[in-house]
Amino acid sequence: MRIVVAYKWTRDPAEATVRADGTVDWSRAKPGLSAYDPVAIELARQLAEVAGAELIGITAGGKGVAVPIASKAALSRGLDRVVIVEDESLAEAGRSELAAVLAEMVRYIGDVDLVVTGDSSVDVAAKMVPAVLAGELGWPAVAEVTAVSGTGVQAGALRVEQAVPGGVQVLEICGPAVLAASADAAVPRVPGMKELLAAARKPVELLELAALKVPPSNAIMTVAGRSRPERKARKGQLIDTSDPAVAAAELVAALREAGTL
Amino acid sequence: MSVNAWIIVGDQPAISNLITVARSLGGPVGAVVAGPRSVAETVAASGVDKVVWCGAPDDVPAEASAPAVAETVAADPPRVVLAGRNPGERVLLGAAAARLKAAVLTGACTVSIDGGDVIVVNAVFGDIAEETVAVCGPVALLLDGGSVPPAAGDSVPIEEAAAAPLAMRVIETRTSGFDQVDLGEAHRVIGVGRGLAAKEDLAMVEALAKAVNAEIACSRPVAEGLNWMGKDRYIGSSGAHIAPQLYLAIGISGQLQHMVGVQGAQTIVAINSDPNAAVFSQTDYGLVGDLYQLVPAITAALK
Repeated sequence: MRIVVAYKWTRDPAEATVRADGTVDWSRAKPGLSAYDPVAIELARQLAEVAGAELIGITAGGKGVAVPIASKAALSRGLDRVVIVEDESLAEAGRSELAAVLAEMVRYIGDVDLVVTGDSSVDVAAKMVPAVLAGELGWPAVAEVTAVSGTGVQAGALRVEQAVPGGVQVLEICGPAVLAASADAAVPRVPGMKELLAAARKPVELLELAALKVPPSNAIMTVAGRSRPERKARKGQLIDTSDPAVAAAELVAALREAGTL
Repeated sequence: MSVNAWIIVGDQPAISNLITVARSLGGPVGAVVAGPRSVAETVAASGVDKVVWCGAPDDVPAEASAPAVAETVAADPPRVVLAGRNPGERVLLGAAAARLKAAVLTGACTVSIDGGDVIVVNAVFGDIAEETVAVCGPVALLLDGGSVPPAAGDSVPIEEAAAAPLAMRVIETRTSGFDQVDLGEAHRVIGVGRGLAAKEDLAMVEALAKAVNAEIACSRPVAEGLNWMGKDRYIGSSGAHIAPQLYLAIGISGQLQHMVGVQGAQTIVAINSDPNAAVFSQTDYGLVGDLYQLVPAITAALK
C-alpha cells in the first residue's frame, strides 16, 4: 500500500515585489518547500509508519521543480521516493490543470490509499488543489484536517479530525481519500545531516507530462490585464511613547478627531 | 430552464454574497445543497430560481455529497459555479470544477460577463497583485459567502439529487469552546500577535476591546499553533479579510500574509516593541513600546 504527499517547490510572495505594471518580480524570492508542506509530510510519515506503507512525494510545475535541492528538501523530511513532472507549460497552470496532472500522477503510481497535502501553498494560497484532485479521482476529500488516527489506513477505514467553524468534527472514511492537513496537524521534524545524506540516495523519478493522459480543460483563461492594487495611503505617524499615558491620550485624541472612535 | 450560475451550499446557508454575484451575471440561478434539509429550505426561500437537495442522512458530512453536487451541476452546465470558503464547500466546489473541467479562481474582486467570456478581476499571490482574466468556458469561483439571506417571497420547490453519498460519516463532534464571530461585521477590530507572552494576557486586551467596542482577532499562529482563539478569528491571506473603521494591531510584526487581510481598514494603529517591525510602514499611527504598558494606558485613556 502507498501514501502519497503532494508538495510544492515555490517562492514566498512576501519576498516578491510588484512592479508598477502589475507584474510580479520574484528575483529576490528564494525558492523553497511551500510553508505548510512539511506538516503534510510529517503527518503522512506518521501514518505510513503505523500502516507500514510506502511514502511517495509528488510535485508538478514549471522549470525548477526538479532541481536536486528541491527533491532533497522533500525527501529529507521522510519521503521514501519522489515522482516529479517538470514541464514549462505548467509554470502558469491554473489550480484545476495542476490538480488534473497530480490526479494522473496518483493513478500512474497506482495502489495509492491516501493522498495528503498541506493546507495551502505559500504563493497561491487557493486551498483548492486538494479539492479538485479528489474530484478528479472521485475520492472523498477533507480539508482542515487536524489529526488522523483510529484503525489505520491498512484496514481501509480512517478516523479523521477536521476543524470546522465552532469546533472539531470526527469523520470515519472508507476507501482511498485526499486529506488537506491544517497548519497545526503535526509538528514537522527538522531534518539533520543524516536525513540530508540519506535523501541524496533516495529515488527521484522524472515523468514526462506527455506520458500522462491528462484530460484537457474546458476553460481557456487569458490574462487581459495586470495591475498593482491601489493601497490606501497611510499616515505613518509615530507617536512618542516615552510616557505611555501621554501616548495613549494622544492616540485616543487622534482617533476621535479622525472619527474612528 | 438552463442555469447560468450554480451556487454550492454546504452545512450553512450563509450565501447572501454568492446570490448577489450570481444575480449580477444575469440568467437563472440554481443552488445545490449538500447540508441538512433545513438549509435547503432556507435557500429555497432566498430568491434563487431552482434548488436541488442532495438528501444525505444527518450523520453524513457535506463533503460526502461531492458526487451528487458534481452530477447536478454537470447535468445543467453553468457558465459560473460559486461556493463559500468553508472547508466543506471548497471540497464540493472542487468536485464540480473537476467534473466541468472548469477554471478555478479564488481571489475574485469583480465578476462580469462580456459576450462569450467571463471576466474576473482576480487578486493573486496573497493579494499582492491583480490580474484581469478572461475565461472562455466554465468558471468555478471561491468567494466570501456572506450572511444568511432573508426570505424573499415564495419558496421554489426543492428537487432531490439521486447520486449516492461517498463512504464517510460523522462519528463525533466537539465544540471548541470558542465563541464564533463574524469579523466582517465588526466596525472595530483588535488583532493580537505573538508579541503577547501568555494566553492569560488576553484579559488585558479584552478590557481594551470592551472600552473601544471592538472584536478581537489575531494573526495565524495565535489561532493555529498557540490555539488561543478559534480559527474564524485569524486575519490574513488564507483567513479573514476585513475592512473595519479601526484596526489595532497589538504585538503583530506585519508580515504580508497578515496585512493583506486588513488593507481595507479605514485606520490602522500598531503597537510593537520592535521599531523595525514591518507593521509600522503600513499604519496610520504607530506606537513603539511595551504593549503591557501601552494597552492598559489606552484602555484608561478611553474612560
